Amino acid sequence: MEPQDIYYNKNEYVETASGNKVSRQTVLCGSQNIVLHGKVIVQSDAIIRGDLANVKTGRYCIIGKNVVIRPPFKRFTRGIAFFPLQMGDHVFVGDNSIVSAAIVGSYVYIGKNAVIGRRCVLKSCCYIEDGAVVPPETVVPSFTKFGGNPAKCIEDLPECTMDLMVDFTKSYYQHFLPSKV
Amino acid sequence: MAYLRQPEYVQYSCSCGSLKSISKIYFCRHCLSIRCGFCVCHEVDSYYCPNCLENLPTSEVRLKKNKCSNCFDCPCCLQTLSIRLGQSFSVSSQSKSEEESKPTTKKVYYLSCSLCRWSSRDAGIPDQTVATGSWKEQENPYSNRVNALINYYKILASFEKQQKERKKFHIKRSFLQFEKFGITSAMARKRSGRPPLTQAQNQTVTTPTPSVAEENVDESLSDLFTKSIDITRTTTIDQRLQHPELQADTIDKLRPQKKQFIIKRSQRCRTCEHNVSKPDYCSTSTKFKIQLAAYYHLPEVRIVTYEPLQFGKSSELLLKLSNPTQHQMQITFLSLETPVITTTKVQGVVEEINKERIQMGCDSPNLLPSAIRQTAVIEEVKPIIVVPNGEILLPNSSFTLPPKDEAAEYDELNVPQNFQDDPKVVVWRNSNKSVIRLHVLPDVTKSSGDMPETVIVGFVMQFSYINTIATLEHKTPQKLDLRVKLYLTLDNSSKIARTASMLK
Repeated sequence: MEPQDIYYNKNEYVETASGNKVSRQTVLCGSQNIVLHGKVIVQSDAIIRGDLANVKTGRYCIIGKNVVIRPPFKRFTRGIAFFPLQMGDHVFVGDNSIVSAAIVGSYVYIGKNAVIGRRCVLKSCCYIEDGAVVPPETVVPSFTKFGGNPAKCIEDLPECTMDLMVDFTKSYYQHFLPSKV
Repeated sequence: MAYLRQPEYVQYSCSCGSLKSISKIYFCRHCLSIRCGFCVCHEVDSYYCPNCLENLPTSEVRLKKNKCSNCFDCPCCLQTLSIRLGQSFSVSSQSKSEEESKPTTKKVYYLSCSLCRWSSRDAGIPDQTVATGSWKEQENPYSNRVNALINYYKILASFEKQQKERKKFHIKRSFLQFEKFGITSAMARKRSGRPPLTQAQNQTVTTPTPSVAEENVDESLSDLFTKSIDITRTTTIDQRLQHPELQADTIDKLRPQKKQFIIKRSQRCRTCEHNVSKPDYCSTSTKFKIQLAAYYHLPEVRIVTYEPLQFGKSSELLLKLSNPTQHQMQITFLSLETPVITTTKVQGVVEEINKERIQMGCDSPNLLPSAIRQTAVIEEVKPIIVVPNGEILLPNSSFTLPPKDEAAEYDELNVPQNFQDDPKVVVWRNSNKSVIRLHVLPDVTKSSGDMPETVIVGFVMQFSYINTIATLEHKTPQKLDLRVKLYLTLDNSSKIARTASMLK
């Protein structure tokens, strides 16, 4: 199915030279620690906690509404340390999801209302279903679809997942247009 | 990705008769036909742990019973356990005789589940001084008995196999035998019908002691009917089946289980025995050595939008087609009844290509000699069960899709392509994609009364394909016309059904 055009209010979004489209209605804490690598969309009411640790995203990442991106912490004998959060290229994070993973690979799809526990590792080409709760420190292997609470591997993904995801994020970016009015 | 999220609106018919979306089918370049997960051979390529992603060779995997030696699953919630560092409180408690005034701080490790908070300390498993490798797996109390039985049946199997082979030999040898020793015809007559002489040395198989039924029932079971069950202490079916050897009945008996390996698969076409998909050996890599998914070879058809469907009225349907190949593609739409055959044009004359002949032309890549190799099981073609309840009005003219150009999207100036398109059919064009307009007419005869929720229409798409595989007959790339049957499901209640004004 061909994606539909999504129109946004031109005044609400800031577009950078590298093609990032970031809503003004977002909370970007510690913005000096946040790197968006170009053609990234951050939609309204998203929270990126760059004040805790570095947050890096690749190209063509789409961060939905009300998403919380929060670097993971680890408890040591002497207090707590936060770890940087890395995200690959072509990652989609659906609305209202909470991502506290250590590494999110490339070509990853995270559905709506999903919770990715702290220090999870999402390998490239994996799929987290809507409403899935991935427990902390879980590794999601490539070409698997995780869903449920707690999230379990439901099925395998087709071999062409990578190109499906590239196509999806690119066309999402192309269809994310300023409203004409 | 839409293919993974949404129902399959556009389905391609596989050569085996099943209907799948383009993301789930393969295109065998050697037989030039569509294959799906049901009609290819799935082979295990490599085993790896889903947690630590360690790759292991097959022989080692068998020794380890398909389980990772370092990673554990929580026996309670079946999630991965994490190894935690703790202080050695247990050391002092174990050696009480020693002076307790000296607190010895030693690093110890224990397993803990971050989801359900189960920990190896709660279960009474002693802490380990090394992080990995020292966790003991629960011993099966009946392992001796099980091993004895397995060995017995192994011997029995090999014994029977020997007997079978001997029988084969003796049919031939029985006459030779007599000639050798100069047996008289009278003796030979006596011997006939009896088992051959050589079978005298019989192998003895020691049968393991059979288990004996006991009269006395365990006393602890007497309160089975009187005691009320504490459901919170009883294990669930899932928890029990995670360790089928023991099947703990109460939760305090649960022990961490080693994590099961998962596999990488390669797919092989059953007819020509070429691989249609072969992943990289490395568990972390997402690349493929051989990747013949249909997504890279067949024109992709997507539904853009359509008018709400009404009886007796044709509705516009916009389809987006894209050419994923490096060659120009000529696309023609044909009616559903058209036979799905492969044709080629030789000096302007259309010639049908027999699929069998293509397969014969190429050598099987399987290196095993044909005697050992299992013959491919080829199933009969299943009939397609889908009944279209609508008619699709197809254009007579064909149109061209230019090849895919990776650099096109970076090109600021989109070079206008000079294609003589029928403006009634082709609505929009951009690099290797184009949107075409078709008309759908829901069938009145098949569904009486109410408008059905979904309207299914089908057609055959003919597309040109350049076969670059050099065979003995064709050294140069060969241009072929392939056909594929497609079924579109148009959901009337769906959001994509738009008003006519939106189409413009």
